[in-house]
Amino acid sequence: MQDLLYFSQQLINGLTIGSTYALIAIGYTMVYGIIGMINFAHGEIYMIGAYTALIAITGLATLGVAWLPLILIVALLCAMIVSSSMGWAVERVAYRPVRGRHRLIPLISAIGMSIFLQNYVHLAQGSRNIGFPALIDGSFRFGSSEGFQLSLSYMQITIFITTLICMTVLSLFISRSRIGRACRAVSQDLGMANLLGIDTNRIISATFVIGAALAAVAGLLLGMYYGSVDPLFGFIAGLKAFTAAVLGGIGSIPGAMLGGLILGVAESMTSGYLSGEYKDVVAFSLLILILLFKPTGLLGKPEVEKI
Amino acid sequence: MMKTSVKKLALAVGASAALMAAGQAAAEIRIGIAGPMTGPVAQYGDMQFSGARMAIERINAAGGVMGEQLVGVEVDDVCDPKQAVTVANRLVNEGVQYVVGHLCSSSTQPASDIYEDEGILMITPASTSPEITQRGYELLFRTIGLDSMQGPVAGNYIVSQNPNRVAVIHDKQQYGEGIATAVRDTLRDAGVEVAMFEGITAGDKDFSSLVTKIKQANVDFVYYGGYHPELGLILRQARQADVSSKFMGPEGVGNKDINTIAGESAEGLLVTLPPSFDEKPENQDLVAAFEAKGEDTSGPFVLTSYAAVQLIADGIEQAGSQDPFEVAKALRAGTFETPIGTVQFDQAGDMESFEFVVYEWHSDGSKTPVN
Repeated sequence: MQDLLYFSQQLINGLTIGSTYALIAIGYTMVYGIIGMINFAHGEIYMIGAYTALIAITGLATLGVAWLPLILIVALLCAMIVSSSMGWAVERVAYRPVRGRHRLIPLISAIGMSIFLQNYVHLAQGSRNIGFPALIDGSFRFGSSEGFQLSLSYMQITIFITTLICMTVLSLFISRSRIGRACRAVSQDLGMANLLGIDTNRIISATFVIGAALAAVAGLLLGMYYGSVDPLFGFIAGLKAFTAAVLGGIGSIPGAMLGGLILGVAESMTSGYLSGEYKDVVAFSLLILILLFKPTGLLGKPEVEKI
Repeated sequence: MMKTSVKKLALAVGASAALMAAGQAAAEIRIGIAGPMTGPVAQYGDMQFSGARMAIERINAAGGVMGEQLVGVEVDDVCDPKQAVTVANRLVNEGVQYVVGHLCSSSTQPASDIYEDEGILMITPASTSPEITQRGYELLFRTIGLDSMQGPVAGNYIVSQNPNRVAVIHDKQQYGEGIATAVRDTLRDAGVEVAMFEGITAGDKDFSSLVTKIKQANVDFVYYGGYHPELGLILRQARQADVSSKFMGPEGVGNKDINTIAGESAEGLLVTLPPSFDEKPENQDLVAAFEAKGEDTSGPFVLTSYAAVQLIADGIEQAGSQDPFEVAKALRAGTFETPIGTVQFDQAGDMESFEFVVYEWHSDGSKTPVN
């Protein structure tokens, strides 16, 4: 009985972290799907989202606002607005001028942007870990065996629900809306879409904005869940989310979700049953195996070839 | 016209440079101070720089060393071994002969290779890894105890609480893993069951799996070897998951930043620290001088850094020479009165005795001695 509870607890831990990987991974996969480049600065956009949310929360607290839903909504909106404008600006400044050149050039530009943003936050906010207030506290507890209780915290539930809502809205947006249709058209053939009168520059900008907004959601959620932010934490999360995107098949949105969840569960099971030291080893071995046997990732379409 | 003014300017620059160089040679003893000014453990660097600056200031006010003034050359190693090597080379180029630093053991180790080769005397006020002084270096000293002293203090305290099962976690770095191993060995020797001995990755944020594991292992005590950013998160995530075990850590977790991360969860954390030198009656003058500058002396490395600078000054006086090798000989031979007590070095460069005390940490950032 205890073993089962333990397994379920690790599964919950893994799914929680996995769903936030998925939120960040969307940004990588959408950008790759449309212009075939890896936006390495995406992890930093996520980090900036977390910092903005924290600043908004602190600001509201000093103003004396104590109503939780209001704090969360304002923090979320601030984070999404700032991150989205960052995402848009990064594309305008660092990627658009080099679009269509050799594929290494935008990649290097992205790495440069990532270093720039990291150091910018470093200077503006200091390099120390800053504590994030635990706004959503408490948990449901189930079944108890030999002193071990399964707990599902309200924070974890919030993460699941928010991720679910974001993913549903995104899927509907891509499949039903005008811009969504244009996104799909651009990802199939950029040149042709251009000829048919789609403003491709606008669509590419929209992709960056959407990805950044989702990363901001993840930033707020993970900041609250973990409890602290520092300028480097976007890098590690970005790396994991990128792995999730490749695992699921880069360019595919359901793939990013699946990849995120698999990666999260694999990590938590490894630290739960083996040792935390092997967490990253297993995560990246999984990636290597998938790439060896199914180079397009789990849900990637083999015919997508982008230059 | 243009030409002559350029010539004059060049002359003036040349002359002033020559004058400056002469001035340096005549009346300055330069001491490198190397530690983290930025990065995740910059708090400890602040302690180190504040202690060393104060020592330099007070020694200069009292007439300097052999009639010469001390000048601090401060460099930032970010507690990163690669950066430590870079700044060590910079200090070599600056012609510094004495260094107070580095702070993190993993930085001190590679940097000390460079200093030893270049004939620079180094006193670390904070690195506790035993390996550092086990390499037979002639110019390397420390004004802090060793993990092999601190580990048993923590281990024996845990044993005295009669726990059933203990978990020992570390951050896989030289300092954290070293001290965690010392604690584990003490516990095993005393017959206490170590249910878990596991590493985490420094910089990680998600410890939910680890916390679940701690909870399932049903341990009474968790010892963590490492620094506060990770322990703060572990504490917070553990309390949220209803883990009621007692937590303990080394001096690397004992600073007020753990409270901003862990909040209420930091209440009751046990920390082994050097004794509060700033509470000794004979140091009250010195503490008042720090307070007059608005600086806090409660950090573990403030007065050890002060003592390191003072020892360099005393060593030069005793040796009657500024040659680092002569100074090292004088330091090994003599006994010195410093704010951290009477210092006597053994052949390896470690202090003959250094005490660690168990403190209980509170959620407002204060600490009280246990027992």
